[in-house]
This record gives sequence, C-alpha cells and structure tokens, in this order.
Amino acid sequence: MTPAASPEDQAIETKAAPENAGDDASAETSNAAIAHESSATPTANDNSTDSTGLKGWWKVFASTYVTIFLAEIGDKTQVTTLLMSAESHKPWMVFAGAGTALVCTSLLGVLLGRWLATRLKPRTLEVGAGITLLIITIGLGWDIFQGL
Amino acid sequence: MDWSLIGLSFAAVFLSELGDKSQVAAIALGGSSKYPKAVFFGTAAALLTASLIGVLIGEGTATLFPPQAVKSVAALGFLIMGLRLLLLGDGEDDTTEATD
Repeated sequence: MTPAASPEDQAIETKAAPENAGDDASAETSNAAIAHESSATPTANDNSTDSTGLKGWWKVFASTYVTIFLAEIGDKTQVTTLLMSAESHKPWMVFAGAGTALVCTSLLGVLLGRWLATRLKPRTLEVGAGITLLIITIGLGWDIFQGL
Repeated sequence: MDWSLIGLSFAAVFLSELGDKSQVAAIALGGSSKYPKAVFFGTAAALLTASLIGVLIGEGTATLFPPQAVKSVAALGFLIMGLRLLLLGDGEDDTTEATD
C-alpha cells in the first residue's frame, strides 16, 4: 500500500488520474478515499473493487456475448449466411466471408465507442449508451410484436 | 478457396451489419465499459457463433431456437444493461478514460 496523502488530496487524485484504478495498491487507497466522500458518488464504488478486475472482464464478456448472441439468432445476417450456404453448398466459404465481416463491424463499433469516450463526458456517454440500449430493446420488442 | 464467394458473403454481411443493432450496441457498450476489449471479444464471438450456427444447421435454427422466445431474452438483456447505465452509471464513472 502506498503511503496515503491526506484524504482530500487522495480524493482529488482519484478523479484526476483514472488510470491509477488499474493498480491494486492505489485502487485500495482510492477506494478508501472514495468512502470518505461516498455521499457525493454513492454508486461509483459498488463495482470498483479492483481485485476483481479479471472477474469484471469475464462478466462484461459473458453479458455481451449472451445478449448479442440471442439478439442475432434468427436475425437478417444469420438468414443471409444461411441462404448463401444453402445456395452454394460451400458453408465454410460463406462462414469465412461472413465471419471476417462480423469481426470487422464489431471492431469498428468498439473503436467508434472508444473514440466517443474521448470526446464526451463519462456521464453523458453513459446516458447516451443507456438510451441507445433501451432503443435497441424497443426495436427487439417491435420485432417480437410483429412476429406474433 | 472460392474467393468470390468469400468476398460476396463478406460484402453482404458487412453492409447488412453496418449500423445494425449489434454494432450500435458495440458502440454503446464499448464506449461506456471499463473493458472495451471484453465488449469486442464478446460481440465478435457472439456474432461468429450465431453465423456458424446459421451455416451449420441452416433451416433448423428456428426450431432449435424459437425466435420470439430468444428475442425476448435478448430484449431483457439490453433493457437491464441500459437501465444499469442510466441508473447506476455501471460503477465505472471514473475509469472511462482508460485506454484498454
């Protein structure tokens, strides 16, 4: 554990230097510092025990995987690949092309998200992202409704 | 190798996925998550699995995965993730600028 500065300094540092959060030792001290001003940021420290960094990674991976997988099953891309492989009788060729395209579009998406993250305030981004996900929810709800 | 077929399926899928919900979700989650690489790998793996299943079991997909039920669960997943970001801020307010 690094020798802690005064609680106020530490709290300021937490806000100013987010990259410190990756380091276990400093994360512990900054969690302690956050606890001092927990009334100001009541939700910020729920998940920020950084000893669970790897766990958090897998949680994000798993939730993204499951949700996107379920959303894409039976969707137009899957139908496209299905039809193309049925028509050509070369499923692996179709999969090679489709797979490369899917990796590219996901990479573009995440990179665009990261770029936006450098432009927008974290909270603005979160609200925007939250609303976007709700719009996707409504879109899926519409698909379900139309399919009934 | 049938390069024209690979190219054709690449173009078809790339164009149909641009701006589609998975990519929009990748933008939203990748930008707001502490683990954008996890978002990328999760999204890419999910899309690859979905298209692999499409290619392998073809028309049987709908019987194996009844679309309405599957989409309802997906909608619920997006709803939870969206509400979490709006209401809780995902607990990641101060790490959004981390680069990886």
